[in-house]
Amino acid sequence: MSCEVCQLKELEVEHFEIREVLRCILHTIVFNRALGLVRPKDVDLELFEITYVQCGDLELEKKIDEKIEQFISWVEKHPNKKSQVCLSFFEVKNKQGSWFTNKTERQKYWEQWYINLNVAQNPKAHSTKSHHSKVVVDPGESASEERVARRAALEATLHEVLFQIVKFVNEKKDHVPPIPNLEGVVSFPYEITIPSSSDSVFGMDMIKRMLQTGHPTMLS
Amino acid sequence: MASSHGNTHSEAAKMEQIITEFYAKSLHIILESRTPYMSSRNYSGEQALSSPSSSSSSSSSVRPRDKWFNLALRECPAALENLDLWRQSSLEPMVVDVVLVQRPLVSYPVDCSPKGDLARNFSLKERYPYCWNYEQEDFWCEAKSEKIIERWVLQYDTRKARDTKSGSRRLSNSTLYKKSILLLRSLYVTVRLLPAYKIYRDLNSSGQILPFTLAHRVASFAEPFTCREDEEMQQFEFTPVDTACGRLCLSVLYCSSLSDVSSEPSTPMSPQVIPDYVGSPLADPLKRFPSLPVTGSLSRAIPSSIPFSRRHSWSYDHGTDSPPSVSFSPSPTHSEPHASISNPRSRHFPPTSLPRHLSGTSLDHKKDTGFYEYCPSPGFSPALSPSASPSLPISIPGNHLSKNMLRSESAPVSAPVAKCAKSPASSHKLNFPPSPPLISTRAGTFKTDKTTVGTSVEKLFSFGKGETRQCSGLKISSNSSPQISLSRSSTRSFPDDFDESEYPYPFDYDDDVTDPGSRPESFDQTGGLFPIKISQDAAVGALVRMLKKAPPLRQEISDSVSLSHACRPEIWNNSKPEAILSSESQAPLQHAGSSSVISSGLITSKTTADALEELRGYRDMKNSLLASGKSHM
Repeated sequence: MSCEVCQLKELEVEHFEIREVLRCILHTIVFNRALGLVRPKDVDLELFEITYVQCGDLELEKKIDEKIEQFISWVEKHPNKKSQVCLSFFEVKNKQGSWFTNKTERQKYWEQWYINLNVAQNPKAHSTKSHHSKVVVDPGESASEERVARRAALEATLHEVLFQIVKFVNEKKDHVPPIPNLEGVVSFPYEITIPSSSDSVFGMDMIKRMLQTGHPTMLS
Repeated sequence: MASSHGNTHSEAAKMEQIITEFYAKSLHIILESRTPYMSSRNYSGEQALSSPSSSSSSSSSVRPRDKWFNLALRECPAALENLDLWRQSSLEPMVVDVVLVQRPLVSYPVDCSPKGDLARNFSLKERYPYCWNYEQEDFWCEAKSEKIIERWVLQYDTRKARDTKSGSRRLSNSTLYKKSILLLRSLYVTVRLLPAYKIYRDLNSSGQILPFTLAHRVASFAEPFTCREDEEMQQFEFTPVDTACGRLCLSVLYCSSLSDVSSEPSTPMSPQVIPDYVGSPLADPLKRFPSLPVTGSLSRAIPSSIPFSRRHSWSYDHGTDSPPSVSFSPSPTHSEPHASISNPRSRHFPPTSLPRHLSGTSLDHKKDTGFYEYCPSPGFSPALSPSASPSLPISIPGNHLSKNMLRSESAPVSAPVAKCAKSPASSHKLNFPPSPPLISTRAGTFKTDKTTVGTSVEKLFSFGKGETRQCSGLKISSNSSPQISLSRSSTRSFPDDFDESEYPYPFDYDDDVTDPGSRPESFDQTGGLFPIKISQDAAVGALVRMLKKAPPLRQEISDSVSLSHACRPEIWNNSKPEAILSSESQAPLQHAGSSSVISSGLITSKTTADALEELRGYRDMKNSLLASGKSHM
């Protein structure tokens, strides 16, 4: 099984939009890969006219939110940067480690999703989330029009990204490992990686991740 | 789940079962998010209760069904009803059409459509899919428009599988199952990404009364789309899942231009909704005015104030009663220019609606317009937008419009009357555009009114009475109260009066639809509405209730209802009653009456006694509302 990689279309987001956008995307991906018994939960975004699906798994929700918070704090420390969040699915192999692998367990990645975000500079405090009444926000100002247009554009792009996920998930099925006989909603182990605060250059993080992940063929 | 190679029947049987269950699950997923009030979205906890008997009867119990593909879905009676068919013949293709049904405001969103007005058109269409166009034309007058906004096609293609696959590479059932799960997951997500989901969501959002609803049709064949429809549709194909001897193919054709409809509903509900309704009645009076005496520029001001109402207004147009709006436009001088401009759009609108109410000839026009033309969604949008509004009146006519206009022109006097009659029920906003001239005189009042709809309405009424005595005299007098005009019932009443006058056809229709008893009720309701407007939130809630309640009366009207498919009635019954009950405060007024009506089915018509009972309920409401309103005042 090879590791399939999906680079999602870049999203131009403002700071206050990061949370919703990431939640939407991460949950959508995980839902498509959660082959355990799922009770889907529909969630309407507050900022966008979009509904996405969660697995209804509290643990997963918590983990995703944690990662998002970490990412947001990273963004605050590293403004004006393009950034990536990576969601990886892997299998745990219990094989005896190869000569340079210490662990008896090793992670074998079979799928990785890269969420590309471009966080806009002006993190104008917009903490109050307007309930998809985009027009209502600051009706008088011309700036508001811009914002509306920008928001609409982001919504469209986010929609595209979600469709991108759907298409990818549809086209790539062969590499998905057999369903483990585990109880639980999210049947495959996964991890969410964000740029680490130490990495000034995102590229470094990428390389590092590649090394960590290793291509299956490389390691074996 | 080893490889399927040497396996015997068991493997084949398993595969067949997976395929069958795949059909079932797919249908369930699709309908669950397209059948208003059926999904877990809002009623997850209550689903069990709500689920109709039919669902319970279905062979599958919740648990086993949930385990299939590891996907636990909410109860969806609609899906269950249709599933048995495919359990028996799983290899047939399954075509699920999701239909957007536009109806007049009068009819309540979900509830009414199935039984009453919708039932006619719908049932006919369903029963005689091939005659679809015909049906629509004929029943168009009722003001319902239907448009297929999604077509899901699921089929098990054995031929393709052979082509693609070499015998060497066979798929085990476990692989098939896994891929099926993956496909269904993506289906679940996709269903929520398509435009139709917004409509569904709007329909399920509490407190909204929308002029449209969603219906579905499940068949083993697909009616061909017209060229127009084809052009509007986009396709998304899910990657087929290969089986040992075939492949499961799922695709969807969807209308990507639903933004108009969906956007409107999406707009904020609370305050806006109420005003609209209130405004609509008001608007009607205004419209009347414009047509008759005044041709002012006020209209602009009004429209701006009533942006929300427009949404509703178009709905009215679609509605059976609504047709008037269109007719109005033609009558005034304004209408003509607009008509020419907007003709293309007009087709999108339910042109038929106008003709019927206005004139019998309208039917001819209707025929001209294919049902697809109605696919209103695009057309409607313009109406919604304020700027577009002016065009709207015109738009309706198209060919038909021209006729209408001619008619109206020919009989200037009659036209105003007709307008009056129509105005109440029909479109508020649509009417407005024409009304503007009238508005000018009233402009001052309107502006003030805008803030307070209720007052404005009253003013309008007064105007209507005084200015357009012809119209008002006929209808209003009959009602005895100005308020009546506002109520949808009022529109109905008008038709009757008008029958004799110049627009017999529409009236005839209305007569069939409206019961004598119902009218009185409606009037009472209307009276209640005004006070409500004056009051506040409570009033709004009351209005919503009233509106919801109102439908039952109409339902009676439709004789054709009986035609409705067995499946649908069940669905509707299940979903609608729940929805109604769920809705905040309907309970008292609607009480047994509405629910019973729904359950009973379209066929059953209400008796005068029933109507009286409802009327009493409304009166009580009205009194309470008035009392509360006074206190607020």
